[in-house]
Amino acid sequence: MKAWLARPWFGPLVALVVVYLLFVWLSPDTFARSVNLSTMARQTVVVAIAAVGMTYVIIHGGIDLSVGSAVALTTVVIARVLERGSGPLVAVLAGVAVASLAGAINGLLVARLRITPFIVTLGTMGALRGAAKGLADEQKVDADPSGLDQLMSALSPSSPWLLPAGVWIALAVAGLAALALGYTVFGRHVVAIGSNVRTAELCGVPVARVTILVYALAGALAGLAGVMEFSTLTVGDPTDSIGLELAVIAAVVIGGGSLAGGQGSIAGAMVGAVLMTVIRTGCTHVGVPNWVQEILTGAIIVAAVGLERLRRRR
Amino acid sequence: METRRTFCAALTALAAGAWLPGCRDKAAPGPGGGAGRLRIAVIPKGTTHEFWKSVHAGAVKASRELDVDIVWKGPLKEDDLKSQIDLVQSFTAQRVSGIVLAPLNDKALVASVNGATRAQIPVVVFDSGLSGGEVVSFVATDNRAAGRLAGGRMVKLLEGKGRIVVLRYQEGSASTREREDGFLEAVKKGGLQVVSDNQYGGATTQTAFAASESVLLARGADKGEIDGVFCPNESTTFGMLLALEKAKLAGKLRFIGFDASDKLVAAVRSGDIDSLVLQDPFKMGHLAVKTLVDKLRGQAVEARIDTGASLADKGNLDAPEIAALLKPDLAPWLGK
Amino acid sequence: MARQVSRLELAAIAKAFGSTRALEDVSLSVAPGRIHALLGENGAGKSTLMQVIAGAERPDRGSMRLEGLPYDPVSPGQARERGVAIVHQELSICPQLNVRENVLLGAEPTRLGLVDARRARQRTERALRLLRGADRPLDPDTLVSELSPAEQQLVEIARALAHEAPKLLILDEPTSSLGGDDVERLFASLRALRDEGLAIIYISHFLEEVRRLADDFTVLRDGRAVLSGEVQASEDDDWIAAMVGENVTQGAASAVRTPGREALGCTGLVSASGLAGVDLSLAQGEVLGIAGLVGSGRTELLRALFGLEPFSAGQVRVRGQRVVPSPAAQLARGVGLLSEDRKSEGLALALSVADNLTLSKLTPFGRWGVVSPRRQRGVAAAWVDRLRIRCRDVSQPARELSGGNQQKVAIARLLHHDVEVLLLDEPTRGVDVSSRAEVHALIADLAARGKAVLMVSSSISELLETCDRIAVMRRGVLGAPRPAGELSEHGLLAEASGA
Repeated sequence: MKAWLARPWFGPLVALVVVYLLFVWLSPDTFARSVNLSTMARQTVVVAIAAVGMTYVIIHGGIDLSVGSAVALTTVVIARVLERGSGPLVAVLAGVAVASLAGAINGLLVARLRITPFIVTLGTMGALRGAAKGLADEQKVDADPSGLDQLMSALSPSSPWLLPAGVWIALAVAGLAALALGYTVFGRHVVAIGSNVRTAELCGVPVARVTILVYALAGALAGLAGVMEFSTLTVGDPTDSIGLELAVIAAVVIGGGSLAGGQGSIAGAMVGAVLMTVIRTGCTHVGVPNWVQEILTGAIIVAAVGLERLRRRR
Repeated sequence: METRRTFCAALTALAAGAWLPGCRDKAAPGPGGGAGRLRIAVIPKGTTHEFWKSVHAGAVKASRELDVDIVWKGPLKEDDLKSQIDLVQSFTAQRVSGIVLAPLNDKALVASVNGATRAQIPVVVFDSGLSGGEVVSFVATDNRAAGRLAGGRMVKLLEGKGRIVVLRYQEGSASTREREDGFLEAVKKGGLQVVSDNQYGGATTQTAFAASESVLLARGADKGEIDGVFCPNESTTFGMLLALEKAKLAGKLRFIGFDASDKLVAAVRSGDIDSLVLQDPFKMGHLAVKTLVDKLRGQAVEARIDTGASLADKGNLDAPEIAALLKPDLAPWLGK
Repeated sequence: MARQVSRLELAAIAKAFGSTRALEDVSLSVAPGRIHALLGENGAGKSTLMQVIAGAERPDRGSMRLEGLPYDPVSPGQARERGVAIVHQELSICPQLNVRENVLLGAEPTRLGLVDARRARQRTERALRLLRGADRPLDPDTLVSELSPAEQQLVEIARALAHEAPKLLILDEPTSSLGGDDVERLFASLRALRDEGLAIIYISHFLEEVRRLADDFTVLRDGRAVLSGEVQASEDDDWIAAMVGENVTQGAASAVRTPGREALGCTGLVSASGLAGVDLSLAQGEVLGIAGLVGSGRTELLRALFGLEPFSAGQVRVRGQRVVPSPAAQLARGVGLLSEDRKSEGLALALSVADNLTLSKLTPFGRWGVVSPRRQRGVAAAWVDRLRIRCRDVSQPARELSGGNQQKVAIARLLHHDVEVLLLDEPTRGVDVSSRAEVHALIADLAARGKAVLMVSSSISELLETCDRIAVMRRGVLGAPRPAGELSEHGLLAEASGA
C-alpha cells in the first residue's frame, strides 16, 4: 500500500478522480456516459502520445518546445504524400520519419553544440512551423485520408474493440515506454543523466548518444501523435497544434515530472493528459465560458503540482 | 491502516465513476426530444472577433423567442481546427438536442458532423459550407449573390465602361471564390473589361498588401490603366487599401471591398473606398438557431437559407439599417 | 603598559556536530591593526571556527566579545552589521554586474525604493579607497568579468569592507586561485588595510605566505588551539610540530605487495586547470599516494588521467599503450575514478543505492539492453553486504545514506565494474573512523590482488598508513615518489606547504 502512495502519479490520480467526480456531480446526465468516456479517451490520444516522448526529455533534464510544430508538420507531410497517391502506410512512415529526423537534429544541437534545450527547441519550433507552412503552401492540404481517419473514428456500438485503434496504440506506446524507462540500459541512463549528468559522465554513460536518442525518440512520438492528429483532422493543417507543447509539458509536470530532470513517470504523464481532457470536456458539458475554462485549467494544473510537492515534502 | 483506507476509498470512487454511469446510458433521455427543454450547442469559428459576437447575439435572440437553451462554445484558440472537432465530438457525447456549427474547414469537420447526425443530433451549418456531410440546412450569405451585388454596383459606378482588377483571396477558399465569381459574372454582363483575375492576396493583410502592390504596378494603375478594383474579404480589402494609399491612387479609381472594420469604414467615409459589401452575422446566428429549432419541432426547413448582403457607401453609412450592421447594439442580448 | 583592548576575544568556544567534536575549548585574541594567521591541517577545525565568528554557526559553549562588547551573532547578516565580514575561498561574485553593483550587492542604499546613486557611489568609493594598496585603483563601472582573478578577489574584499565601520575581516585561503603577481597585489592591499587599523584573520596552508604577511598566529589541532604567538618569534618547525602533534606517523613499509608492470602512467601533462608538466608511473599491485594542498593540482591530475578534464600537452598511457582518455573509454580499459565531490558528481543522490552502484555497468543484467531489476538489486545487495553499507535496502535513495555509506557505494561501483586501476580522490572524506579503517583494508586488499591504486588525500597520516610510495604535489608539479617508509608526516607537510 505504502509503495503505491509513494508513487509520483498517485497524487495526480487522486486529483483526476476528484475533478472527474466533480463534473459527474455537476453534469450527471451527460458527463458520466460511456460515450463521453470513449470520446474523452479519443481526445486525449494526441497529447498522451506526445507526452510519452516529453516525459523522456524532461526526465533527461531537457525540454522540447518543438512538439506542436512537429505534429503540424507531420499532418502536412502525410497529406502531401497521400495526395501523390501513395498508400497510407507509406504516408505514416514518411510523417514519422520527418518528425524523428527533426527530433534527432534537436538532440544533435543539444549534445554536440551544448546549446540549452530550451533555446534549441525554441528555434526548431519556429523552423518546423515554417517548414510545415511552406510544404503546405500556407493553406490546409486536402487529401483522401485512405482509411487513416479510422484510427480515431468513433466505433460502431457493436465493435468488440470498445475503443478506437488510436487509443489502444497510445496505451501500447505508453506501456512500452514505461517498461523501457524502467527496465532497459537506455532508460536507466536517461534517468541517471537527468538525475546528475556529472555522475553519469563519471560512470562512462555515453551522454551525447543518449541525448540524441532521447530527442529523436521524442520526435518520433511527436510524429506518431501527428498521425493521430491527421486522423482526426483528415487534412494537413500547418497552423494546427499551436501551443500543444505547453499542454504536453503540463501533462508531464502534473504527472510528477520535474523540470530539473531526474523525475517523472509515464503513468503520471498519462494521468496528467487525461486530467486536462476531463477539465476541458467537463467545462464544455457544464457550459462554462472559454475564459473561465482557461482560468480553471491553469489553477488546477498549479494546484495538482503544488499538492504533490507538499505531499512529498512531508 | 489510515493510508490503506484512503486508498481503498479512492479506488472505490474511481470504480464508481467509471462504471455506474455506464449503466445509466440506457436511462438517458432520448435525443432532441421529449419533455425536456431543448439544449442547442452553437459552435463558431472563434469567440473574440466582432463578427462572432454579432452571431452570438442573434443566437441569443432566437433562443429567447423560441424558449430553448443555447450553449455558446468556440475553440479556445481562434481558428483552431482540432479544438473545434473536439467540441463537436464532446457535444455529441453529451447528447445536446442539436448543434449549430460554423465549420473551420469544409472537409475536416465532415466526419464529426456525420457522427452527430448518426447519433440523431441534427446539425445546422452556418457561415461556411461543408463538402458533403449530412446537415439539416446551410445558413449563410449567398456569396455568389453578394458578389453579383458588388459587380452590379461596379457597373453602375463606371457606367458600363472600364478595366477591372480582382484580387482573389486564397486558393481553396470556397466562400470567397463564389464572391469573386459572382462579381466577375456581373461585371462581364455589364460590359466591363477584366484585366486581371488570377492574383491571390493570401491569408494575411501583409501578403495581400504585397500582392496588391505588384498587381497594381503590373497593370499600370499609376498610368490610369485601371478603373476599378474588387476584393473578396476583409484582409484583401485592407491590403489593397494600403497599397492604393501608398501609391497615392486611393480615391482615383473605383474600389469595392468586402466586410467591414473601423479602418475600412473610415476609408468609405473619406472616399478611398466606394462601397463595402456587408454580411449580416446577427441574422445568421438568429436564423441558424431558428432553423434548427424548427427542424427539432417537426417543421419543414429549407436546405439553403440566404442571410442576404447589403452595400454600404458614403451616402448610407449612417442610415439605421447599415449602421446596425456596422455597429450592432449587442447589449440587449449579451448583457454588456 | 596599558594593553590595548582586543578587537575580537574568544573564550572557551566549543562546537560539536553529532558525535564529532569540531571545536573544543578554543580561546583566541585578535588585536586591531594586526594580521592573525590561523594554521592547521584539514579537519583541525579552522572552517568551523570561522563559521562561528561569521555567524553561520552558533557555538555550543563559550563566549565572544567584539571590542569588549558581547558578540553573539545568530546570522551572517547580523555579523556583518557588527562589522565582521568573511571572504570565502571560492569566489562568489556576479560576473555580469559591475564593480559597484557587486560591492553593494544585497546592501544597496535605497531611497523611495530606488537605488540611491549618490550614497551608492560614496560607499563604493570609500570601500575601494581602503584597498588603495592596489597599484591600479578599481573603476566602479567596470564589469567584473573583465577583471583579473586578483582584482575579482579584491572586489569581494571590498564588499566585505563596504559596511559603515568594518572591524574584522576573515580571509579563507584567498590565494588558492591566484598567481604569483596577483598574490603580491593582494598582500599589498591587506597590509594597507591593516595599517588603517582593521583586524584580519588569515587562513592559509602556505607557511611562507604566513611568514611574509602575518603578525600573529594560532595553530589549531583536533579542534583545540595548541600554539599561538607572534610570527617573528617562532620557527616553521614549531608550527609544523604543533599542527602534526605527538602521534607522528611513520610510513609502514609493505612487504606483502610486489609491484608489477606499469598499469597507468603519464608524461609532461600540462593543462589549463593547473597541471604544469606532470610525470607519473603507477605499477600494478601498488598504492601510490599524492600529498598536496587543495589547489595544488592533485585532483586535476586524477581528472585529466580519467579524461574528465582536457590537457593541452603530454600523454597518458594505460598498460604501456598511449591512449586518449575519456571516461567511457577509460572505464572500458579498466581505469575508474572515485570523485572527491560525492554530492554533486560522485553519486546521483536521487537515485537508489542499486542504481548508483550499477550505473557504470548495467549490461550484465540482461540481454538486448534489458535490465532485470531483480538481478540488479541482487548484485547490489551482495556489495552492500560485503562492504557493510548501512542502508534500509538497496532501493533506498542514496541521498538518505550517511556520508561514509555514500562513499562506500561509490567505491562499490568501481569494484562492481571490476576496474584494474583505481584513481581515488579523498576516499575517506566525511567517513567515520570505523568505516575509514574498512576502506583502508579494502585498498590494501585490492593492491594485494594486483590492482593499481592512485590515491589523493588531505590527510598525510592516512597516506602514510596506506601507501607504498608517496609523491608531493605543489603548484601543479608532482615530485618524485619515495617509499613511504622513508617519509614522515612532518616532512611531507613541510614540503606540501612550501616551508
